Amino acid sequence: MIEIRDIWKSFDGKQVHRGLSLDIPEHETTVILGKSGGGKSILLKMIIGLILPDSGTIQVDGREVTTMAYSDLRALRRKFGFLFQGAALFDSMSVGENVALPLRYMPEQKKTDITARIREALRTVGLENTEDLMPSSLSGGMRKRVGLARAIVQTPPYVLYDEPTTGLDLGTADEINLLVNELRDRLGVTSIVVTHDVRSAFVMGNRFAVLDEGKFIAAGTADEIRTSGNEDVRKYIDSSLPMQGEAP
Amino acid sequence: MSTVRFQLFFGFLGEKALSFFEKLGRYFLDIGWALRNLGTIRYYARNIAGQMVQIGNNSIPTVIFVSAFVGMVTSVQSAHQLYVWLPRSVVGNLVIKTVLLELTPLLTALVLAGKVGATITAELGSMRVTEQIDALESLAFDSISFLITPRVLAGTVMFPVLTVIGDFVALLGGLLGASVVTHIAPDEFISGMRDSFLVSDAVYGIIKSMFFGFAITSIACFQGYHVEGGSEGVGKSTMQTVVLSCLTVVVLDFLLASVLL
Repeated sequence: MIEIRDIWKSFDGKQVHRGLSLDIPEHETTVILGKSGGGKSILLKMIIGLILPDSGTIQVDGREVTTMAYSDLRALRRKFGFLFQGAALFDSMSVGENVALPLRYMPEQKKTDITARIREALRTVGLENTEDLMPSSLSGGMRKRVGLARAIVQTPPYVLYDEPTTGLDLGTADEINLLVNELRDRLGVTSIVVTHDVRSAFVMGNRFAVLDEGKFIAAGTADEIRTSGNEDVRKYIDSSLPMQGEAP
Repeated sequence: MSTVRFQLFFGFLGEKALSFFEKLGRYFLDIGWALRNLGTIRYYARNIAGQMVQIGNNSIPTVIFVSAFVGMVTSVQSAHQLYVWLPRSVVGNLVIKTVLLELTPLLTALVLAGKVGATITAELGSMRVTEQIDALESLAFDSISFLITPRVLAGTVMFPVLTVIGDFVALLGGLLGASVVTHIAPDEFISGMRDSFLVSDAVYGIIKSMFFGFAITSIACFQGYHVEGGSEGVGKSTMQTVVLSCLTVVVLDFLLASVLL
């Protein structure tokens, strides 16, 4: 369980978060919706302590992240997989090496186990036999999949997705959406997705929170968001979903 | 009106000074952290070997080229200024002193400040703007130990190796310049070198180059690790690395000369 309470954050005098509070339930996918540049990715990074808030608390499984010692923070991060917006693959490493990286310095891992886990992670994302390819030779969708394989290779209980479908065509975006759902259903992963892609959000999410001007202006299930009385929420959803009724 | 200008001027100066000291403090904290984690270096042996190749082996052609010409120029200029009124062997005498004590360590460092320093900053800066450093942290890696420690260690070890190579090439270049351009017999030149050679001179040059290697790689790593502002920021930081490294090298050169000689 992740509990976010009264988070405030500013950069160079610009207030980005103004008292964010949200509970992330286990084994579900929570989608944080909002415009680009609204501070969604920053919130995601705060959850694993990559960025510290100016004030407020973030608890993961009852442990406070914002005041945690660095060694404890590193131990906590092993519980998380993180898919970055641009996949953040290491250019100098092959696909296999990228996916193996989280396992590389774990002493209990045998080489044969590592190879098997890399294959399994790549198979899960539909990229078998790509271990020897270099990231520069991959398409945008393939890069995201490799990033996802790297995020799940340790089978973490939490996976954070930063704009998983941005920059992808509809078909590839749908494949990523289905993968996120499969991970939740098959492995019981607790996921947080930040996106401005409303169409994908309604395919992936169980619960939703809409971020606007540094605050959550609505939170709840898909139906609650769609029928929200908040005009800004409706406007945002309507403007992002040109084909009404398409979303499930 | 002049009071307002005065306040603005000193406000600007104060801001710059604060930002400088903040950066300096962060530099010492980061590099201190990188050195503190030397004990875990066995985990990063592959990274260190890779960096040694990149910083050391890949710089050998540049060092050879620069050192050869440094040796030749030193030889030709010394001969031009001295040998009318002194024995010809004095040229060899002078070349070995200037090459070992000053020219090879300093010029190797200045050239590598551009080549190695800029490469490291651009590489780490690109990793920062494409979130690869965040990705390392999210995978529970200590990104400073993973990225900075191997580079600084490789620089501190490989700069002296490159300087030794540079010393040999510069002396050969000096010999070539003396015999081809100024027609000093090789045995006269070598006898001059032998007369004034001191092991301590070579050691002094090697110690200096260790400091230079440490300074250049640590500045470059710091600049790259903290890049802000996308690809424009990478370019700006790379330029700052080259300028800062060169300035640090010449200041260190003076300080080490004052302390060690």
